[in-house]
Amino acid sequence: MAGAPVERRLYFEDVRMNVPLETPAVTLTETHTALFGSLTLSRPTDPGAIPDLIPLCMSSGLGWRVPQPPLVVLAFMGFEWRFLKATRVGDTIRSVSKTVVKRSMKEGGVVIEERSILNQHGEVVQSGRLTLLVAKRPPA
Amino acid sequence: MSGEPVVYFEDIQLGEQYTSPGRTVTEADIVIFAGLSGDYNVLHTDAEHMKASLFGARIAHGLLGLSIQQGLLDRVVPGQAVGPLAAVKWKFKGPIKIGDTIHVEARVAAKKEGERTDAGVITVERRVLNQRGEVVQEGETDHVVSRRPI
Repeated sequence: MAGAPVERRLYFEDVRMNVPLETPAVTLTETHTALFGSLTLSRPTDPGAIPDLIPLCMSSGLGWRVPQPPLVVLAFMGFEWRFLKATRVGDTIRSVSKTVVKRSMKEGGVVIEERSILNQHGEVVQSGRLTLLVAKRPPA
Repeated sequence: MSGEPVVYFEDIQLGEQYTSPGRTVTEADIVIFAGLSGDYNVLHTDAEHMKASLFGARIAHGLLGLSIQQGLLDRVVPGQAVGPLAAVKWKFKGPIKIGDTIHVEARVAAKKEGERTDAGVITVERRVLNQRGEVVQEGETDHVVSRRPI
């Protein structure tokens, strides 16, 4: 079909340093805890508590909901993360991130992103740095 | 869980080792995790795209592997020995594909008394291995653990 829409993507070359990007927010529910529990086979002791790893996991999906095309990530290489404040069912979290390091490699480039997760009161509940391998723009 | 013995900071020995049971990572795990996290990256969701990729097939989200290993290790660590997470340093060394069976090998690498009088921090080194013995993820986690009341 002629004129089929082309999915826009961001490549290593498009990544801008130190530009803060804020995601929409999501409310944490008992359903999130139940789904997470079925994946991890974990047994929550307090039904109102949100497992520590849920906000981190959900922040990667929130990153897809910003008003810009998705970054072509080839691999998630690693991260360092701090858990500063517990979250509870009913809390609403969002994430703010910026790129702090860009390093060109032979195949793609390494991008280090600084990310904080905030609750509805604006308190940072978790934060850290994530290292991603990002594709370079293919030759036209 | 009520009925389980409480494990205090003092009860955890430096160098203590744990080996978790295995767990086969399925397509369902990846689909549920994509829905839960909202991360629909082609790496995890587009089988056709991934045939031509470096990995040759869809791979599990790195954070899904991290979450599964956390659940696996919780099954073998006594009581509440591994308390709430304070920090994680983590490396994704290789892909986890649909059908791979992973388990965790862990060791208490450090115990720090810190400034709090009611709790200490333990550092657990963890390696996630697949059915071929390849390390697919590794790192360390810090946990706050209550001290025995005086």
